[in-house]
Amino acid sequence: MEQQPPDTPRIGVDEWVASVEGKRERYTGVRGALAREWERLPPPARVLVFAIPAALFPLVTTDGNVFRYGLFTLVYALLALGLNIVVGFAGLLDLGYVAFFGCGAYLYAILASPQFGNHWQAEAAIPVVVVFTAIVGLLVGLPSRRLFGDYLAILTLFFGQAFVIFVNNANRIDFPIFGHTDLTGGSNGIANIDPLNFFGYTIDSTKKQYYFLLISVALVLILLMFVNESRTGRAWRALREDPLAAEVMSIPVNRLKLLAFVCGAATAGFTGAIYGTIATAALPGDYDVGLLITIYAIMILGGFGSIMGIVVGAIVVSSVPELLRSSANARPLFYGAILLALLVKLRPWRLLAAELGGLLVLGFGIHAIAAAAYPRLVDGESIGSGVFAQGLDHWMLFPKNPVKIADVAYILLVAAIVVYPQLSRLWRAVLLPPLLYLVMFVWENLLLVHIGGATRLILLGALLVALMNVRPQGLFGTATVEIV
Amino acid sequence: MTGEATLLELKAVDKSFGGLRVIADLDLVVKEHEIVSVIGPNGAGKTTLFNLITGIYRPDSGEIQLDGRNLVGVAPHKITELGIARTFQTLRLFLNMTVKENVMAAQYGHTKVGVLRSMVRTPGARREEKEIHRLAEEKLRFFGDRLMGYRWDQFAYSLSYANRRRLEIARAMATQARILLLDEPAAGMNPRETHEITELIGKLREDGGYTILVIEHDMHVVEGISDRVVALDHGIKIAEGSFEAVATDPRVIEAYLGLRKAETK
Amino acid sequence: MNWSLFFDLTVSGLTLGSLYALIALGYSLVYGILKLLNFAHGDVYMIGAFIGWYVLHALGGPLNPTFTGGVVLLLMFIIAMLGCGVLGVAIERFAYRPLRNAPRIAPLISALGVSIFLQNSALLVFGAGFRDYDTFDLIGVKTHNIGQLFFSVPQLLTVITSICLMVALTVFVARSRLGKAMRSTSFDREAASMMGIDVDRVISVTFFIGSALAGAAGVMFGLVFGQIYHFMGFIAGLKGFTAAVIGGIGSIPGAMLGGLIVGLGESYATGYLPQGSTFQNLYVFALLILVILVRPSGLLGKAALQKV
Repeated sequence: MEQQPPDTPRIGVDEWVASVEGKRERYTGVRGALAREWERLPPPARVLVFAIPAALFPLVTTDGNVFRYGLFTLVYALLALGLNIVVGFAGLLDLGYVAFFGCGAYLYAILASPQFGNHWQAEAAIPVVVVFTAIVGLLVGLPSRRLFGDYLAILTLFFGQAFVIFVNNANRIDFPIFGHTDLTGGSNGIANIDPLNFFGYTIDSTKKQYYFLLISVALVLILLMFVNESRTGRAWRALREDPLAAEVMSIPVNRLKLLAFVCGAATAGFTGAIYGTIATAALPGDYDVGLLITIYAIMILGGFGSIMGIVVGAIVVSSVPELLRSSANARPLFYGAILLALLVKLRPWRLLAAELGGLLVLGFGIHAIAAAAYPRLVDGESIGSGVFAQGLDHWMLFPKNPVKIADVAYILLVAAIVVYPQLSRLWRAVLLPPLLYLVMFVWENLLLVHIGGATRLILLGALLVALMNVRPQGLFGTATVEIV
Repeated sequence: MTGEATLLELKAVDKSFGGLRVIADLDLVVKEHEIVSVIGPNGAGKTTLFNLITGIYRPDSGEIQLDGRNLVGVAPHKITELGIARTFQTLRLFLNMTVKENVMAAQYGHTKVGVLRSMVRTPGARREEKEIHRLAEEKLRFFGDRLMGYRWDQFAYSLSYANRRRLEIARAMATQARILLLDEPAAGMNPRETHEITELIGKLREDGGYTILVIEHDMHVVEGISDRVVALDHGIKIAEGSFEAVATDPRVIEAYLGLRKAETK
Repeated sequence: MNWSLFFDLTVSGLTLGSLYALIALGYSLVYGILKLLNFAHGDVYMIGAFIGWYVLHALGGPLNPTFTGGVVLLLMFIIAMLGCGVLGVAIERFAYRPLRNAPRIAPLISALGVSIFLQNSALLVFGAGFRDYDTFDLIGVKTHNIGQLFFSVPQLLTVITSICLMVALTVFVARSRLGKAMRSTSFDREAASMMGIDVDRVISVTFFIGSALAGAAGVMFGLVFGQIYHFMGFIAGLKGFTAAVIGGIGSIPGAMLGGLIVGLGESYATGYLPQGSTFQNLYVFALLILVILVRPSGLLGKAALQKV
């Protein structure tokens, strides 16, 4: 009576159930074909798709670019991959993760720098660092075993803060056995870390560092992909899904949480050691909340649990802020993003054209009125040269002393953005050009000025909120179904 | 079916939550290869009983023994490893994992390849992985062609309700337990599916060799499968015996309030 | 036994504790209703401090006030509380409400985003430097004393105002209809909505109250410590959060108790423990870890029972 099991979904029954309600995305056409081909590639092949262009990168650009864009991307990618074990695989919110990274960097610095006169070779130092950081991960994980969700987040956050405080002040403590030692250089950190040195082969050029990192990332990627499909990976995912059900299905939940912590910590420690040699110094400021947010941003952009998404996320998160450093780059990015958003949201074409046209007219109108009645509002000029900037001078308001008025405008803008979605469709259409004008005013007069500092983070914060609103699973993540 | 060894035994088990006594001085014996049904009105403590046996709750007093070995204070995952597996009244599948992965995940307790070996895929790791796949397919095959073929790679959330219940049972089977605790396996099923479940439970004992403890409300199922029926009310065992004996016991009838006689025909 | 030091530390601890308690209340209220950790709460506190500063200077500044000191203070408080309340409601509308049914991690990330946004907006608009409240002439810098117990007017003001606010809140939650609605929503949101409670409105009110309290705390910080800066919300938020957890998150008296414990603990640590002032934060964190390990639901919290 054994029938042949059906090979394909029966029409009207199964895939329909899955794809209805959008729980599983079925892409059609080119996108669908690409997605299906992607899923058929075995893990090592997928890695090659990224590794090969990455390997060619140093050959087509300067060393400076490799350092700024390439090295940091790879370091962030490694960190994010390690964090993915804890957050993406096992579903534990670890907010102190960068402390393990710092731990690795500092320990390597202690072992291979003038600070204590140790100059270990990398092949000895790195394993020691990895094991030590893993043990620290174990110690942090032990009290966290029985905690879930928010409590775990707090505990790990505090551990991260504790690490920063410790490292900032460890040059002033009297240790019980060691007496008064300068363990971490205090707020100056430990400088002049030796470059990586394997069996006599020194990795001292940017290119060499890049390739070493690239190989490391590729290896870690493959290893993680294998783990994901293994008994431990499944157990982690089960733990993430429903810890109680997992426990009664023979999965030792607490032990696996610890294991996730330890693996994540070990990865971070390894990355820390390498980063120490690249940055040649271990500084307390590098391992604080700022970096934590960056790594989480990578994970969010890439989608939790999606290993390849993390790589993409790392590329985006490390290149975009660099690109944004100069106003010449920042403007196109900003306006491009706004235009893209308008293109996507405003249908039909006529509406889009009407809004943009209205904006143009509005700008000229306001500029003309201001030039006639309040000349102080147009006395200043836009940043940068070039056709666009010059054109803006005739269209946008540039007060001589923009600071105060721009501040007020900024606050108005935030309030406006909050209120705007609550309006009716008609009002939204009518008020869009003034809103856009206000956005551009604040951008040109305030944000662009501070593009090196606060602006980037403001945009990041706004991006995080917007992204969670639009796509909570991240760009490449799969929409998960939650047990409520 | 009588004369078999005692597999699971509860002696004088007590459990209270705050001031509410949920299980009171309960004795229960389940012999190997038996199918015992636990019935009782809502709130009688049936699911609590399962939670106590599987180690999710700890009894305030009393003993719970599997094959003579004490279970009180043992971690739930260890209890599962020792041979007790369960399904849930409200279905707790790993929804974002595939059908096959759900069944494979439950084999954790009986497999041993660690994370380091998995990372590099040693020959031993690959062999164990093959074995895990094979066992999963074997357990899924138990349900005919309902969970076979292309189904294996479908996410659990895409399954129909009846299939989800079957998957939960398959998952419990994959833990290689000796005794299955099924919490309302026929809940929400239409008559045809209920009939299938009744047959399935029988098949679990005949072909699978399992001992089964079932919580059920549907008396058709209870009558069809049980060697013995235990009735609980407010945490106390009020009747025990064959289906006929329990169904006509005046205290049981009183507990259900209004069921003048368990309608079976 | 150096009583003078002890009293100093105690007064300082009570003052700090009152601030932390107010912040903790915001966390507790929101967590009780939404099971969400509002990471942005500390930054609302910071904004409150700045609003107070602006009000002060809009009314002529500390040296040349348009009204008398008391009235200026009152206005600072009221406007800061209102402003922060509105800010809290806006944050909820924008960053949390759309994510009510999303996976648990999404609102946490959103909260993080709001926090980054607020901190850096403050940096942008207010600059990186410290701003002085300079209110000492306004309210009197004199320290009064009872025997060896010295305290200043701002400190006294802080403690008393906090107590008043907390009492008001407790009465409100216990007696008023809205308070009952808040409590029932925190037990079971779905059931509450089925009983005719406008859950959205209740949540907005909760955010309003919590944020208003944080705003008040921000102004008090400025009055007592004199200097405010854009990053002050981060550590204060962490400590306020610690207080909420120690006292039992979701519990109003717990938040108050927790605030007291953290404030006093931090103060005594500075004075009595080795290298206390450098590591005072570490000691507070250690205290938190201890409480979480020994009594995860906090001192006054109730252990949540899961129905399996």
